[in-house]
Amino acid sequence: MNETSPDSGAIRTLPELLAHALAMESEAAERYGELAVQMETHHKTAVARIFRRLESAERKHLGELEEMCKKVELPHYAPWDFKWTGAESPEAIDTGRVHYQLSVREAILLAFEHERRAAEFYAGIAESAEAADVKQLAREFAAEEQEHIGWLEAWLGECGPGDALATEDPDPPLGQE
Amino acid sequence: MEAAARKYKAKDYKSELKPIWCPGCGDYTVLNALTRALAELGLPPEQVAVVSGIGCSSRIPAYTSVYGFHGVHGRALPVATGLKLARPDLTVIVTGGDGDGFSIGGNHFLHACRRNVDMTYIVMDNQVYGMTKGQASPTTAPDWEGSKLTPEGTGINPFQPLVVGLASGANFIARVSSSDPVNMAQIIVEAIRHPGFSLVQVLSPCVTFRPEQAEWRDIVRTALVDYTDDAARAARRLMTDDGFNVGKVLYKGERPPFRPEFENTDGSIAELEAKFSL
Repeated sequence: MNETSPDSGAIRTLPELLAHALAMESEAAERYGELAVQMETHHKTAVARIFRRLESAERKHLGELEEMCKKVELPHYAPWDFKWTGAESPEAIDTGRVHYQLSVREAILLAFEHERRAAEFYAGIAESAEAADVKQLAREFAAEEQEHIGWLEAWLGECGPGDALATEDPDPPLGQE
Repeated sequence: MEAAARKYKAKDYKSELKPIWCPGCGDYTVLNALTRALAELGLPPEQVAVVSGIGCSSRIPAYTSVYGFHGVHGRALPVATGLKLARPDLTVIVTGGDGDGFSIGGNHFLHACRRNVDMTYIVMDNQVYGMTKGQASPTTAPDWEGSKLTPEGTGINPFQPLVVGLASGANFIARVSSSDPVNMAQIIVEAIRHPGFSLVQVLSPCVTFRPEQAEWRDIVRTALVDYTDDAARAARRLMTDDGFNVGKVLYKGERPPFRPEFENTDGSIAELEAKFSL
């Protein structure tokens, strides 16, 4: 039921692109941070570390983007008016897809999926936009997302056999007797 | 899309306290949707109050930066009613779960719908008492065997909150899924804007005690029919519905909200307290 939004081709101007990028980077940074807190709360420090690193990268992007947007009057979009291709911005991991026993490998794969969606979103704009400045900036944003994808591929390569396993729970939730 | 920068962002409505719900819990989405809705409405945090009872979902007031009241089990609605009547300028939102709202607070639910005070009730329905480790709730299916207290299921038909809410006089009824936070934010905005008592049922999985509910995201479907203002039509739709039609407002009534006339008092708090002294 989530595939309800129009495609990225509906983004035609630089302010429209920047408004989307700002929302996407902001939501991604916040979501990675939220997931890190969730994992820290459940003492899943290795998985939490993955999300913290990604949060930090997104915050850096966000800072650069905010600087870029300072002199631009951005249009306001209600959350449901953004031109995402899914329910939320492509880079924000769906909170319903994590679990307290999430393995390091699963966390990386989940992030990989969303970073790839973000790259595809920008690539779609670069392809469909007519304005040269929109095309150029969308290409740059796509390249930045590709950089994250590269990191995640490297982290996947560094995963040991133990990183693929769901963490053991010595005190699993049991229904009250 | 309007060309205007908004004063508030969703994160402005979140407190410094971090949620301790289980990862994967649908309530995270509700918190995100609620804060997005408040940002979109541009409501100053000091003009909003979130009231709750007891349960996992009732922790939401602590996670917001608006006024909050985390009260007694099942009693969120009477507290919120009193607050709204005393401070009609506030936007009052009530949050809670199915056990809190429909069992312990069941009678308050009926009369809150009947009174039609202008507030929004968001119920995170996971068909289980999660905080107390997984007992059947009023909305649990009769054959759910997941609790040792009811090893062969409750054998009792589940409570139908939207049908009961409609019959009792709720002025706005919607069902949403926690798998679609943006849609949920949009519906919450509509619910807050609509005068009177607005009831929003959120299908919010309990991933710990009802892990099978993770499938809800694949089962739910966007309701095909738009809302009606005809209670009889809405009732027919709801009575024949399987509970998984989501994403749209189902009923918008036109009953005026309950707004009693008050006499302003110049009395001090001490004078008011004196009237209640025994």
